[in-house]
Amino acid sequence: MKNLKLNYTFITSFLLMLSVQMNAQISKVEIIATGLTCSMCSNAINKQLKSLPNVLNIETDLNTNTFTVYLAESNTANPKIFKDSVEKAGFFIGSLVITTTANTVSKEPYILIDKSDSTSGEVKVQVLDKGYITDKEFKKLSKSMKNHENYLLNNEDDFYIKYSK
Amino acid sequence: MKSINTILLIFAFTIIANAQVKIGDKLPLITLENNLGVVKKITLSNNKYVLIDFWASWCAPCRTGNKKLVRLHDTHNANIEIIGISIDTDKTKWKKAIEKDKIKFQQYIDPKGFDAPTAVKFGVEDIPSQYLFDKTGKLISINPSHEELLKLIK
Repeated sequence: MKNLKLNYTFITSFLLMLSVQMNAQISKVEIIATGLTCSMCSNAINKQLKSLPNVLNIETDLNTNTFTVYLAESNTANPKIFKDSVEKAGFFIGSLVITTTANTVSKEPYILIDKSDSTSGEVKVQVLDKGYITDKEFKKLSKSMKNHENYLLNNEDDFYIKYSK
Repeated sequence: MKSINTILLIFAFTIIANAQVKIGDKLPLITLENNLGVVKKITLSNNKYVLIDFWASWCAPCRTGNKKLVRLHDTHNANIEIIGISIDTDKTKWKKAIEKDKIKFQQYIDPKGFDAPTAVKFGVEDIPSQYLFDKTGKLISINPSHEELLKLIK
C-alpha cells in the first residue's frame, strides 16, 4: 500500500513536471507594425518590446519591416502583451506570428481554425483576431469566418490562429 | 535602504538625461567615419549655421528630406553647413543612398541603428531628426521647420 502511494506521488509529480514543460510558451514572435509613419524610423516599438519581461533579444529586418522578439524559456507571454506594446508605441499590428509548441496552441486560449497537422514539436501560427491583422484583412476574414460565431465578438482573451509558413 | 536605492536610481537617470544634448549646449565631441572612409572629428564651421541631420538609407521620410537638404545646400551653402549622420548598419547601402540622392554635403556614419552612441548622445528617438547650431556653436533648435531654417539663414 505504501509502495502504491509512493508510486502515485511519483506519477503525479512526473505528470506535473510534464505539464509545466508542455505548458510552454512562445519562443519567438515576429511582428510587422503599421501606422501613419514609418515604423522602422522610430525607436519607440523597440523600446517598448525591450521593456517586456523575458525578452532576450530583438532583431529588426529592414527589408520586411519585421521586429523579431526572442523570449526566454518558461515565460507566460501571450499575443496580447505584444499588441499592447506596439500600440503603446503609437503603432498597430499588421501581422503577428508566434513560434511555439503544438501543445500550447492545441488548448485555451488558442483556437486553431486549420486542421491540426501535428501534435508535437514546434509550430508557427499567425494570430487572426481584430487588431492582430490589418483592418482590410479582418473585414475579409470576418466574412469567411461566419461559422465561428465567437470570432466576431472580438473577445480579447482568446486567440484565433492559423498555421503560418 | 529602499529609499537610498530609489535616490541612487533617480540620480543615475539624471546623469543619463543630463548627458543628452539640449538647447543652449555646445556641439558634443563626435568622431566618426565619413563617406570617404576617413575617421574625423566633427567641427563647426566659423560664421555659419550648422544643421546636423540624423537619417538612414532605409528611412523613406529621410530620403524625401534629403532632397530638401540638397536644395538647401545648393542655395544657402554660404550661410549653413549641413552635416548628415547616418545610423545605417550597412555601409554599402548608405553610400549608394548618398550617390542616388546626390548629396554633396558632409556625411558621417555611426552604423549601429538607434543604439549608435551619437544617436543616444543626441537623444534621437525617430529619424529624420535635425539639430540646428547657431554661428557661435550653440544648439538653438531641434527639428526646425523648413520655413524656420530659411528665415534664419537668409
